[in-house]
Amino acid sequence: MEVGFLGLGIMGKAMSMNLLKHGFKVTVWNRTLSKCDELVEHGASVGETPAAVVKKCKYTIAMLSDPAAALSVVFEKDGVLEAICGGKGYIDMSTVDAETSTKINEAITAKGGSFLEAPVSGSKKPAEDGQLVILAAGEKALYDEAIPAFDVMGKKSFFLGPVGNGAKMKLVVNMIMGSMMNAFSEGLELADKSGLDPQTLLGVLDLAAIANPMFRLKGPTMIQGNYSPAFPLKHQQKDMRLALALGDENAISMPVAAAANEAFKKARGLGLGDLDFSAVHETVKPLKPASS
Amino acid sequence: MELNKSDSGLLLPRRQTAVFSSHLSLCLFCFCWALFCTLSSTPNSETKNCCIQSRDHSPTYCPFVFFFCPVSGLQRCLRRGMKLALKPSYGKLLCPAPMAVITSQASTTFCPPVPARLRVRGWPFSFLPGGSPALAVPVRAFSASASASEFPERVGFLGMGIMGTPMAQNLIKAGCDVTVWNRTKSKCDPLTSLGAKFKPSPEEVAASCDVTFAMLADPESAVEVACGKLGAANGMGPGKGYVDVSTVDGATSKLIGERIKATGALFLEAPVSGSKKPAEDGQLIFLTAGDKALYGSVSSLLDIMGKSSFYLGDVGNGAAMKLVVNMIMGSMMASFSEGLLLSEKVGLDPNVLVEVVSHGAISAPMYKLKGPSMVQSQYPTAFPLKHQQKDMRLALGLAESVSQSTPVAAAANELYKVAKSHGLSDEDFSAVIEALKSKQ
Repeated sequence: MEVGFLGLGIMGKAMSMNLLKHGFKVTVWNRTLSKCDELVEHGASVGETPAAVVKKCKYTIAMLSDPAAALSVVFEKDGVLEAICGGKGYIDMSTVDAETSTKINEAITAKGGSFLEAPVSGSKKPAEDGQLVILAAGEKALYDEAIPAFDVMGKKSFFLGPVGNGAKMKLVVNMIMGSMMNAFSEGLELADKSGLDPQTLLGVLDLAAIANPMFRLKGPTMIQGNYSPAFPLKHQQKDMRLALALGDENAISMPVAAAANEAFKKARGLGLGDLDFSAVHETVKPLKPASS
Repeated sequence: MELNKSDSGLLLPRRQTAVFSSHLSLCLFCFCWALFCTLSSTPNSETKNCCIQSRDHSPTYCPFVFFFCPVSGLQRCLRRGMKLALKPSYGKLLCPAPMAVITSQASTTFCPPVPARLRVRGWPFSFLPGGSPALAVPVRAFSASASASEFPERVGFLGMGIMGTPMAQNLIKAGCDVTVWNRTKSKCDPLTSLGAKFKPSPEEVAASCDVTFAMLADPESAVEVACGKLGAANGMGPGKGYVDVSTVDGATSKLIGERIKATGALFLEAPVSGSKKPAEDGQLIFLTAGDKALYGSVSSLLDIMGKSSFYLGDVGNGAAMKLVVNMIMGSMMASFSEGLLLSEKVGLDPNVLVEVVSHGAISAPMYKLKGPSMVQSQYPTAFPLKHQQKDMRLALGLAESVSQSTPVAAAANELYKVAKSHGLSDEDFSAVIEALKSKQ
C-alpha cells in the first residue's frame, strides 16, 4: 500500500518509520525538508510539496502540530487541495478543534476526495512502538481502507461517527490527562514538602485504584526534574485551551480543567513550552531561575 | 509398622513381610513416577550422576537408584541412599524414603515453591502429583507473615462502618479472637454472629484486648473514641497496642498517639488506601507510622486485611501520605467527571470515552470501575463523598501548612462542597459529577 506522509515531527517521524518497516511505500514531506533524510535512508521517497505527495499517493496521512499548521498544509499554495480529487483519501491525524477539522473536510470533499480525521492518543514511545490509540471519524469507507495502516501505527482504533467526533474525543481525553498531570505534580510536591519520600508515594500510587501508566512512566523523571519531551507542554496547553473552548460553547462548567490550564500557561510563561508537559511540575515548586 | 530413625532424621520402615510387599509396589510406583519426572524434568536436572536439583538446591538421588537395587537388599539401599542424599530439611516431612524423593522431584517439575510457613507445618499437598493449582498461594507484596500462634492474642476493633465491618470480619475468618464496639450497637450484629465478642465502650474493648484497631469516620470521632470519656486510652497500658486506621490529619494523629503512649502502650497510625471492596477482599494498603515494634507485632493482622503495607517513620507521615494520595484521587475523579459530562454534551457517547481512556496512558482501575455507573448517574457508596471532601480539606490544610500552592485540588474541593450542598454526602464520591450538572 502506498501512502503519503506530511509532517515529520516527534510523532510523524515515528509513525512513518513504522509504516516503512512494515512494508508500506511511503512518500514524505516536511516543511523543513532535511527532516526527511532519515526516512529516505529507510526507503521513503520525498515529495517537494504537500500537493506533490497527494498527486503521487492514493492515501495521504498528515501529522501536524496545531490547527494553524493543519490548515496551512491544506489551503496554502502547493497544498493538499491543489492535488486532491476523486479516488484519493486524506487522513488528518493532527489534534485540532472540531471547526478546523470540519473546514478541512468540506474543502477536501468539495474536490471529490474523501476525508477522515484520526487524532491519536499516545505520545512518542507509543508512536515508536506502534501502540497508539486512534480516534477516527468522517468517511467510514476511508476508515475501512486505512485499517492496515492503523494496525501498524496503533494498538486500537475507534470509528466515532461524523467529522468532529474524533477531534472532540481527543480533546476530552487530553483535558483529563492535563488535569491529572497537575494533580500528580501537586501530590509529588506536597509529599516532598511534608517530609515524605516522593519515590514512596510512587510506590503507593502504583498499588492503588488510581495507578496508571502515565504516573508510572513520568513519576521518576519528574522527581529528578528531567523533562525530556515526549509530548511538548505547549501542545498540551493548546489541547487544554481547545477543550475549554468546547466547554465554553456548550456552557459546561469545568473548574478543574480551567485551573490546570492556568498552570500550563504559567509554565509556558516560565519558558518551559518545549519541554515535556510534565514540566508543569515546576509551577508548583517555589520560584527558581527557569531552566530549559 | 515399626519405624527406625535414620541418621538423616527420617523415619524409615523396618524389614517386615507386609511392609516389604508394599515397598515393592511403592518402588514400582517410584519407577513410573521417576520416569515421568525425568522425561519432563527442568533444565536444572543433571542426569549424568542422577542428581536432580530441587527448588531449594538440595540434591536428591534419582529414584532410578532404588529400582536397580536387588529386591532383597532394597531396604539397605533405601536407607543408604537417603542418608547420602537427603538434607535434614526434608526430614521434617514425616514420610517413607521414596515418597520424600518423589516430593522433592515433584516440587522441581510440577509444584510452585511451597512457602516456608506451610512447609514447616507439614503441608501434605506436596505429595500430590501435578498439584500446582492446589498449591497456588497468592503472592503478597508484603511477606512478613506468621503462624496462627504468633497473632496478638486478643484483638479489639472499634468502628463497624463500611470499612471496619469487613476488616473485622476478615480477622474473625482468619481465626483471630476479636472484640468489637460501635456507637450504634446493632452494627456489631454481623460480627457477633460470626463469633466476635462485644463490649459496650472503647475503654472496655481496649482493656480486654492486646491490640485495638480503630476505624472511625473523621478526626472528631477518632479523638472521641481514643481520648473521650470511656475512651480507649482509659483501657490501655504497658504491653498493649493501639492502631488507628482512620484517616485524619497529622495533628489529630499526634494528639491521639501522645494520649495512648502516656498510658505506657504503643501507638501506630495506619490509614488505608482502598475502599469497600478492597476491604472485603483483604486487599487494602496500610500506610503506617509510629512505633515500629507495634508495626512488627501486628504485621500478621495487616497481612490478613491487606495486600501490602508501608512503614513511613514518625507519627504524622502515614496521615500525610494518605492525604496526598486522596488529594490526587479527588482531583482525578473531579477531572474525570468533567470529561464525562463534556463528552456527553458535545454529542459523544461517554461509555466510549470510558473505553478510550482504558486503552491509553491515563487508564486507571478507578475509572474503569466507576465510569459505567457514573454514566448511568448511579453512585453506589464504596467511599462516601463527605469523607472524600474531608480528605481534600485536610490535604489543603497540609498544603497550607507547608505554603504550597494546589490550585487543581482547591478547584476539585469546591466541587465536592457543592455536591454536599446538593445532599449527596452519603453517595459514593463519584457523585461529584452531579455538582457539574446544571440543575433544572
